[in-house]
This record gives sequence, structure tokens and C-alpha cells, in this order.
Amino acid sequence: MFVLAMRSIRHRPGRFLATLLSAFLGAAIVMTFNSMHDTAAQDGVDPVSSETLGTAAGVVGGYGTLLVFFAVASTLTVNVRQRAAELELLRCSGATPAQIKRMVVGEAVAVALAGAALAVGPAVLGGRALLGMFQDSGQVARSVDHSFGPVALISGVDITLLAAAGAAFLAVRRVTRKSRQRSGARRLLAWAALGTGAVGACSTFALSATDEVLMAPPAYGAILLSVGFALMAPRLLSGVLSGLPLSGASGWLAVRNLRERAGHLAGILMSLIMFTAVSTATLTMQAVENDAVAASGLVKSVDAKNLETLNLTVVGIIAVFVCVMLVNSLYAATTYRSREFGQQRLAGATPGQVLGVVGAEGLILTVTGVLFGTVAALAGVVPFTVVRTDGVLPDQFFGVWVAMASIAAAATLGTSLATARQVLRTPAVGAVTLAA
Amino acid sequence: MTMFRTRARGDHDTGPAPEALRLVKVSRTYGTADSAVTALDGVTLGLGRGTFTAVMGPSGSGKSTLLQCAAGLDRPDSGIVYVDGTELTGGTEAELTKFRRGRVGFVFQQYNLLETLTVAQNTVLPLKLAGRRVDKRRAREILTAVGLGDRLGHFPGELSGGQRQRVAIARALVTEPRVIFADEPTGALDTRSARQVMRLLQEAVRVHGRTVVMVTHDPVAASYAESVLFLADGRLAGRLDAPTPDAVAERLAHLGDDVTAGV
Repeated sequence: MFVLAMRSIRHRPGRFLATLLSAFLGAAIVMTFNSMHDTAAQDGVDPVSSETLGTAAGVVGGYGTLLVFFAVASTLTVNVRQRAAELELLRCSGATPAQIKRMVVGEAVAVALAGAALAVGPAVLGGRALLGMFQDSGQVARSVDHSFGPVALISGVDITLLAAAGAAFLAVRRVTRKSRQRSGARRLLAWAALGTGAVGACSTFALSATDEVLMAPPAYGAILLSVGFALMAPRLLSGVLSGLPLSGASGWLAVRNLRERAGHLAGILMSLIMFTAVSTATLTMQAVENDAVAASGLVKSVDAKNLETLNLTVVGIIAVFVCVMLVNSLYAATTYRSREFGQQRLAGATPGQVLGVVGAEGLILTVTGVLFGTVAALAGVVPFTVVRTDGVLPDQFFGVWVAMASIAAAATLGTSLATARQVLRTPAVGAVTLAA
Repeated sequence: MTMFRTRARGDHDTGPAPEALRLVKVSRTYGTADSAVTALDGVTLGLGRGTFTAVMGPSGSGKSTLLQCAAGLDRPDSGIVYVDGTELTGGTEAELTKFRRGRVGFVFQQYNLLETLTVAQNTVLPLKLAGRRVDKRRAREILTAVGLGDRLGHFPGELSGGQRQRVAIARALVTEPRVIFADEPTGALDTRSARQVMRLLQEAVRVHGRTVVMVTHDPVAASYAESVLFLADGRLAGRLDAPTPDAVAERLAHLGDDVTAGV
């Protein structure tokens, strides 16, 4: 089966591109930050520098692991789902479920290995840049040299491989079993995330305005709430759809498509919710914090600076990563719909109407994602602002929110419409017979 | 490009053209230069209103190309296509789509129903897309007539192949098109379902007065038609009226022997 796996990668490199990209990005982030551990472990590094590096690596490394798993899992799930026909064919030709599982997991591991290997170079450069950033802000001594050692390499490769193998295993099991008994566990997880998130956000009130860790509970609260919402994405989408009075053939089709494909769109909605929540919450809170420090006339301590750098780096990385994932999975999902678009055209839809359907779907997805992302972000921002300042909703919130919502909308609509346009170049008759 | 339209869409029912479909010297070549394949080589034919015609021929004889050119899914390199007396013009896909609406209906081997829509929704989709009024009662009548009155809320994935093809036929009938094009409609069906589908196509002609053009490999399916056109190497190679399965099979077997054109 492994030979078959290798062969299918060699002959269809295109369809593994999405997985490769997410594995590459994930491995690069994990390695970049974990190389701070290597750097800190060198001889002659002073304790302050060492602590800064250790915190950065610990916090972002942890996030990174989660993100890699999430990203690789979502691309692999799409990938495996799109190959359902091929896997069915293999099953008909006498492959046992275990063999199919081995093949898919084997492919995923091979692709992840390639992604991790490619990521080493960028991670070395990224690590140097990160260290330089810490040195410029005076958090790490100038004398410290960057080191890319065993911790970075092993953790990067291991995490990526583990995430790929695990995600492939789960994805293929879901396809070959054709049952959905996991929704119970998912719902439990969603409620757990929402509950902990709410507790985290509320616990902000227990802290005083000058506590250094003040930003942590609301930030984690917002992130957890967004994870909870993300896990419930299909149900939230159905809820929004039932209240939509859309007229016109395109809107009509869009609503019906989304309703039936709600489960498949969870990944995209997840990215949207998490992007909006994490970026809006963190950037707003940092802005509030900066203004509060400036107002009090104090100079920031190294720790405070540390936190700011970390916050901005974390949010930057998460935002870019999630954005790439969003584009990645939307592209994969839209390309896959070539046959469906062909069927719509044969039923009498003009290319403009097909694009209208895609646009309406993108719009509904964006609005839903941004809506719940905003709720999660507010759950973090409001408690923080109440405790840190006298206000409830900071002035900075609106600007940040508009910027983040626009990026989310541009990424979603831009990717799906551009991809659909490209897909529509295939004549309708060719498109419906292509995959059959 | 001039739009040569002998009559507007609105007055179809008052004065339909005597010929539902007319092809004049239609040629279509795929590929370029030395690798070019001539799929259609100057085909001229006319099909009267309310007729049921099967188009047969060996693989690669140009059957599907003929169907696609006649239905406005593909554009011929040269020649003219008239559907219901109106010349098929228009350069863009949107123009061709608008031309097809209300004039042309399709039934495909692979059904081509949308998986996310129910049986009833699939049936009315062409009306929705064309911005026409959706008569739900009429749609239900048609679905009942094809034997799916109790499956309105089902999704295509929950139906058998024969049932899906009957939904496709209902969808093709609902817009009341002049011509229904069927591409191997029984190609993926068992004999029982195939028989039902062929009877429905026959009914579309006899009861509803539609014109049906069907491409098929199957002599039994072709025997439901009123006449069979044979195609070989992109040219017409004979015609058989009131076909029986045996006569069709016999003719197909000797199609290469006498390449005589003319209908």
C-alpha cells in the first residue's frame, strides 16, 4: 500500500499542494519559535534573555502546535473527502479498510515530511529575524547568537508528522465508516470550550487594573469562545440560514447549497471565526493597554514590552496562518465544485448566475463567521476594558474590527469568486463528465 | 454578430416552426493541425415537430458532438443550427444559455441532478434560473406522471438510478421545451428502469408533443424511437424508420460496409 501511496503522490502532485502548504507553514512556525529554546539553552546566555526566549517559545510553540494540527486536519479532511470515489474504487478492487487507511496515512506522512524538510530553511531565517526583533527591543542581550538545534528540528518534524498522521487517520476513518457518531463528542467539546472561555473572560473582573497578567484571561477567554463557536459552526450556519429571506435564483441556490453542505463548510467557518476573534480581541486589547500606559505617564517595563511583542507576533502569526488556511481550503473546495457548477449551467444557469451563487454563499459565510468571531472578541475586550479603564467599549475597537472584517471578507469572497471564475472556463459538458 | 431571430420567445405557442431542429452543413473539428479530429463533417438534417429520433453509430462517430452542437452546448466550426426555427447564434456562454432556456431540455446518462436540492427543487430549478414563475402544482403533476409523486422531498442521493433519470426527465419537461436532447439516457440503467425511461420519453413525444433527439448505443432503446439516424465518421450513414431492435443491430453491424450519405 505504501508503494501505491508514493505513486499517487508522484502522479497527482497538485492535489497534495494544499496539505503540503499547511504542513510547510505549520512546521516553519513551530521550528522558528522552538529554535528560541535552542538559543536560550546555549552557554553564556543571561537569565533575562533566557526567560524572554523561553516564554516566547512556550507560548507560541503551544499555539503553533494547535494551529498545525487544525490546519493540516482541515486540508486533509477536504482532500480525503474529495477522493471518496477513488477510495471507493480501491475498496471495490479488494483493498481492505486497513489498507486504505495505511495508504492515506502514508501519503499524509510523506507530504508532511516534505513540508517539514522545506520548512527548515525559512525557519532558520525566521528564527534569526525573531531574535533580532527581541534584541532590537532590548529584551534579549546583543551577545546572544541564534541557534537552530535539536529542539527546533525534532519538535517541528514530530509535531507536523503527528498532526498529519492523526488527521489523516481520523479523516479516512470518517469517510470509510460513513457514520456521524462523533457529533456527540464534538458538541461536548464545543460546550466545554464555550464554558471555559466564558469563565476565562469573567475571571478578568477578579484582577486589578495593574496586574501584569490582566490581558491573559480575556485573551484566552476570547480564543476559547471562538474555538467553541468554530466547533459549533455547522449548527450556527443552519441557524443563520433559516432566518435569511433571499430572493433570486442565485440566492435561492446559495442558501440550499449551504444548508446541505453545512458540515463540509465547518472548516472555512472555523477559520473565519477564529481569525476575527483572535485578531480583533488581541489588537484591541493591546491598543487599550498602550493608551492606558501612555495616559499614566509610566515607561513600559521589559516584561510589558515582552508581552506586547509576543501579543503582536502571536496575533500576526495566527492571523496570517488562518488567512492562508482560509484561502487554501476555499480554493480546494471551490475547485472541487467544477462538476456541480457544470450541472447548474446545464440546468440553465448563466456563468454570471453561478458566480452569483458563489458570491452569495461567500457573503453568508463571511457574515456568519465575522458575527460569531465578533461576539467572541467582545467577550474578551469588554471585561478587559472595564477593568483597565473606565469605559466599556474602547474607541479602538471599531477601527480594528472594520479592518479585520474587511480582510476576512476580501479573503473569502476574493478566493471563492476568483477560483469559481477559473473553474467556469471548462465547458459545462466537459465539467460534468470530467470527474464521473 | 447579428441576431437572426424569426420569432420572439413569447409567441412560441401560437406559431411554432414546422421543423423543431435543422442542421445545415454543420462541421466540428477538435484539436489543431496534424492532430485534428473531424467529429462532424458537413452534417445536414431536419427533424419535424413531435418526432422521436435516435442517433446511433459506433464510438467516435460524432454522435455526442452532433447532440452538443444541435443543443447549443458546443459551437460548430461551420454550418448553421436552427432550433424551433430560430438560428442558434450568440458568442458568449450566457447568450447560449439564454437561447437554450425554454427551447431545449436535457437528459444525460449521468442524470446531472444537483445533490444539494430535493427532487422537487431540482425539477423547478430551470424555471428559477430563467426567472420564470414557478408553478409548484404543475411540477408536482409532472413528477407524479413520472412516478415520483411520493418522492418530492427526497435528495438524489436517496434515489435509484432509474428514479434519478425520471427526475431528470421531469426537469426537462417542466420548462416545456421544443426539443429534448437525451445523451445515452439508459446507459447507466438496468433493463427495467431503462424501459420505464424510454416509455416516458415516448410519452413526452406522443402526449406532450415534444420533439426528442436521443443518442444511444443500445438497439433496444433506439427501437422506441420513430426513426433512427446512423452516423459514421462524422457523416450521416443512413436512416431507418419504425426500427426494431434486430433491424437496428443488423444495420449497426454493417455500418462500415456502405458509407452512403443522405437522409
